[in-house]
Formats: sequence, structure tokens, C-alpha cells
Amino acid sequence: MNDKLKEDFPIDWEDDHFVTRREFFKFLTLASGGVAVGTAALAAYAQIPREEIKFEAAKICSTEDLKPGSALAFSYPRPGDLCILVRKQDGEYVAFKRRCTHLSCPVEYEVKNERELLYCPCHNGAFSLEDGSVVQGPPPHPLPQVKIEVRGSEIWATGAIKGDH
Amino acid sequence: MNTPQFHRRRQKAVVFVGFLLFALILFLIQLWLFVMVLENILAGKTGMVIQASAFSFLLLGINIWMLAGVKRLMKMQ
Repeated sequence: MNDKLKEDFPIDWEDDHFVTRREFFKFLTLASGGVAVGTAALAAYAQIPREEIKFEAAKICSTEDLKPGSALAFSYPRPGDLCILVRKQDGEYVAFKRRCTHLSCPVEYEVKNERELLYCPCHNGAFSLEDGSVVQGPPPHPLPQVKIEVRGSEIWATGAIKGDH
Repeated sequence: MNTPQFHRRRQKAVVFVGFLLFALILFLIQLWLFVMVLENILAGKTGMVIQASAFSFLLLGINIWMLAGVKRLMKMQ
């Protein structure tokens, strides 16, 4: 049976290409180097500051319109670009794009367990008010931040920090 | 009759396979680190990427060290 098989399928073992264990080890080390370099490249990419986009400045509201711990919806830079301006409990103003990066539901300002968040009610996503990073839930990217300036008693939007999407 | 050379060869083979399996595990950890770094960057979290990258290089160093050790092992008479 075995002889018949060899007759039917003659294989020249001498000419066949074997991968020795040592070659496999070398390949594994090489692949390991590739992965390490790839990880380092990703880490380097992550250190690049996010691009800032300049738009024409637009007035949002006056400082008296917002009390500490409240929020105001506005559009910037175009009428359909929903944004949210928040006056944090410590008095600081921050603004973000209002569309959740998961499925574009509008986010709301909420205080949960004494922590201020931008909360998406659709799928329980939440973003940090510090930098728009994802705090919980399914959103895959942080919220793009809107640059604001307080000019006297008025709050102006002056540009946006490009998000990762 | 099994000669001392035969036993030595078998012992070397066992050490070799052990190193190889360990290198494979380290490589899998590196792959996992790579995926985690990618996921975190996409989620906007960049706090751990430098440490993960450094650890990946450390694992690469161990792999290179083991490869050199295996080469030395094979040269031994």
C-alpha cells in the first residue's frame, strides 16, 4: 500500500524545501521586531497633536446667559453643525461638537456622581468634559472640541480641534 | 545503544523547543499589545501607548537574546 502510494505520488524529498526550527525561530524574531516597530510607530502617531482647524469666529452668547453647571446648544461653524457650550461648575467654559461619535445622537450635559459629563442617552455613551475623551459606552472616538474665547462679556467660538473621525 | 552524543542531541532539542514555545508566547503578547494600543488610540486614550511600546521592545529584546542563546547552543559540541 505504502509502495503503491509512493509510486503514484513520487516526492523528491531532497529537493523539497523544509523550514527548520532554527529558521522558524529567526522568522519569529523578525516578526517580533516588526510588531515592536509597529507598536512604536503607533505610539509616535498618538503623540502628534491633533490638528486645529480655523474657522471664522462667531459669537455664541454672553457670559450672563449661562450659570455655572449649565449648558447651551449652538451651531458652529455652519448652521447644521450642532455644538454644545458648557459652563462647568467651577465656572470654566468648554465647548464640543454635539453629535455622539457612535451614531450621531445629540449629547447632553449631565452631572453623575459629582462628575460632569457629556452624556449620550441613545446607548449610554459618555464623554469627558476635560478633553472630550470617551469615558464610557460604545463611542469609538472622542468628541471634537470647539475652541472658544471669552471676549469681555461675550463668548466666541474661534475654531475647532479636529477629531479622529 | 544510546551514546552520550545522542542524549546531548535530544537534550538540545528539548531546550530548543522550550525556547521556541516561549518565543511564540512572547510574540503573541506583542500582538496583543499592538492591538490594544491601536484600540486605545482610536478611542482617544493615549496614556499607555508609550509604556506598551517600551514593553513590546523589551519582549523583542528577550526574543533576540533567546535566538542568540539557541545559536550558541547549536554550536556547542
